[in-house]
Amino acid sequence: MTKVNRVGRIQISPHAITTIASDAVLQCYGVVGIAHKNLFGSLADLLQSERWRRGVEVRVNDGQITVDLYVIIQYGTRISEVAHGVMHGVKYALERTLGVSIAQVNVHVQGLGMLNDTR
Amino acid sequence: MTATDSHCARGKVALPGSIVNSAGEAAMALDGAAFRDVLNAALVWLDRHHEIVNALNVFPVPDGDTGTNMLLTMKSACQEIGNENLSSVGEVARNAAQGALMGARGNSGVILSQILRGMARRLDGETKLNGPRFAAALSEGSRIAYKGVSKPIEGTILTVVREAATAAESAAALDVDLAFVLDRAVRAAAEAVANTPNLLPVLAQAGKVDSGGKGLFLILEGMQRALLGEAVDSGAACGWPAALPAAQAQRLPKGRRPLPAHVYGFDVQFLVEGSGLDVEKIRHSIAALGEYPLVEGDSRLVKVHVHVPDPGKVLSYAVSLGFVTDVVVENMDDMSVPATPAGRDPEPPHLASQAVAVAATSELHVGPGVVVVAPGPGIEKVFRSLGAHSVVAGGQTMNPSTEELLEAIQDLPHHEVVVLPNNSNVIMTAQQAQALACKQVVVVPSRTVPQGISALLALDARRPLEANAEAMTAAVASVETGEVTMAVQDARFDGIQVHTGDIIGLHNDVLTAMGSSSADVVKQLLAQMGTRSLEVVTLFFGQPVSATQAEELQNEVRKLYPGQEIEIVDGGQPFYHYIISAE
Repeated sequence: MTKVNRVGRIQISPHAITTIASDAVLQCYGVVGIAHKNLFGSLADLLQSERWRRGVEVRVNDGQITVDLYVIIQYGTRISEVAHGVMHGVKYALERTLGVSIAQVNVHVQGLGMLNDTR
Repeated sequence: MTATDSHCARGKVALPGSIVNSAGEAAMALDGAAFRDVLNAALVWLDRHHEIVNALNVFPVPDGDTGTNMLLTMKSACQEIGNENLSSVGEVARNAAQGALMGARGNSGVILSQILRGMARRLDGETKLNGPRFAAALSEGSRIAYKGVSKPIEGTILTVVREAATAAESAAALDVDLAFVLDRAVRAAAEAVANTPNLLPVLAQAGKVDSGGKGLFLILEGMQRALLGEAVDSGAACGWPAALPAAQAQRLPKGRRPLPAHVYGFDVQFLVEGSGLDVEKIRHSIAALGEYPLVEGDSRLVKVHVHVPDPGKVLSYAVSLGFVTDVVVENMDDMSVPATPAGRDPEPPHLASQAVAVAATSELHVGPGVVVVAPGPGIEKVFRSLGAHSVVAGGQTMNPSTEELLEAIQDLPHHEVVVLPNNSNVIMTAQQAQALACKQVVVVPSRTVPQGISALLALDARRPLEANAEAMTAAVASVETGEVTMAVQDARFDGIQVHTGDIIGLHNDVLTAMGSSSADVVKQLLAQMGTRSLEVVTLFFGQPVSATQAEELQNEVRKLYPGQEIEIVDGGQPFYHYIISAE
């Protein structure tokens, strides 16, 4: 996406947005990993960093940014609260870092992380 | 950490696995009931200080303030341990963890729920809680808490729980005494909280410590105070955490309010400019003058932030160091929003406005406060127009909680309060709130909205409370109530077979009518209520009915009962097509 000011243009690639979003998501409490969009289940395929992109989707339509996140949340936490925390945390991080407003952050809980999973 | 003050240093050895300490005395160990008391005390202590924690918030997450979130989470935890049958520490811990999970609010609440979860795991099967078990529980709490996030951030509540657990483990190796272990944990937590700005840059920039860490520290501190038999609340023997006294006082303006108690002191911040400033020495001196000292800078410029009981001393010290600027002094006991900016004197009261102010205050307290439960906005308006001071929304199921009612009661400035539940389900909840409140509370047993309205009309503010209670209860019996709604399942009620989707009518809470349309059922009910011998009929129409439909019905009913006054009001209540009041 592009921002124009009096000096010139700033172009922010979706990849950059994705990277910032991924980093923000993993700092949100209760999130134990980013999952592949098409993968469900508790034995989640926790993505390695190069493949985070598939669990973080950024769409820009008419300057409106929508972010879809596919996450694994820790079993035993209050999931609704964690999801809210993710929405607000990622929105805040993106808006503060990029200086643009985010229209929507959608959180898709793909699975639950168990304490016994080796991490 | 020095060991000179532990029993071990005097050459005695603690018996492993028992709860007798090295001096041979029964060490401080808790059973389930005592552990419950300690957790409840922590809740009260956190409640008293949660506004301070809120004020430490740095991140603009709109979900709510850290203090409030942790308080609500802790409240939910303590709600689950009220059962007298929980005798072992393990059971209490498990229930508390479950409560915290269900009631977790916000980030900090979720993390707190994970700490409790870990503690419950470790305490599973334990009957009593001693030093080593507490330390192990806190460690497990810390471990589980860290597992809950992929990229843990240091300088937050996670750091504080980890350092508290580490200190607890070290202490437990020296002595099994729970008081000793908890003391070490609390001290480590305090240090960790003070250190958070050094770990998280945004805290240093804001000049604050981490709010979540502070909240956890307060919980541990509250537990410690209970263990040592120190008071956590300020006197009134209420069953529920008392609100900060200053919160009530803020309703009245300065010069007219009861003075808040000296609890927290002053928040003082300033900059000192000079040359050759010794930051370490300044830090040491500031730490001796107050709490939560934050001293940063270099030889030319030092920033100080500290909580003190008397700002004069610390400011005099500052002036002796160099050129002092950017001074902020805030009285943390004053919870009111300042009407005038700092530095300006408030307007002196004129005689005329003084008289008005005095009259207003005395008006405020004639007659009891009235709390009502209302199922819809239109009905709420009716109650307010009749003098209700506080309206608790009934919600979809007309089921407010004891806490909501208790809050409504406590928030009013009146010392005497009348509660109108307006629903048979709510009467018992209201009585529970009455038992917990620190005021004179009368619950008038109104089972329906029309009964509540009739009761409120019977209230005379100049009469004593008992007389009003009698009159209002009598008024409840004098009104006929009808309720029209749709059946959501098949049932057999009061001898009538009902199918899903039928429109049903209740007369004074008893199912007596049924039909295919709400208009039809209303007419049935009116006949049953003996409308011809009554004077006024009011139909409160709810969400399932449109204003046009209600007006049509009004016209039809007027034709049937030309001798009576037929009123319609937009009650706005969910589910009930009509609530009928006839008297």
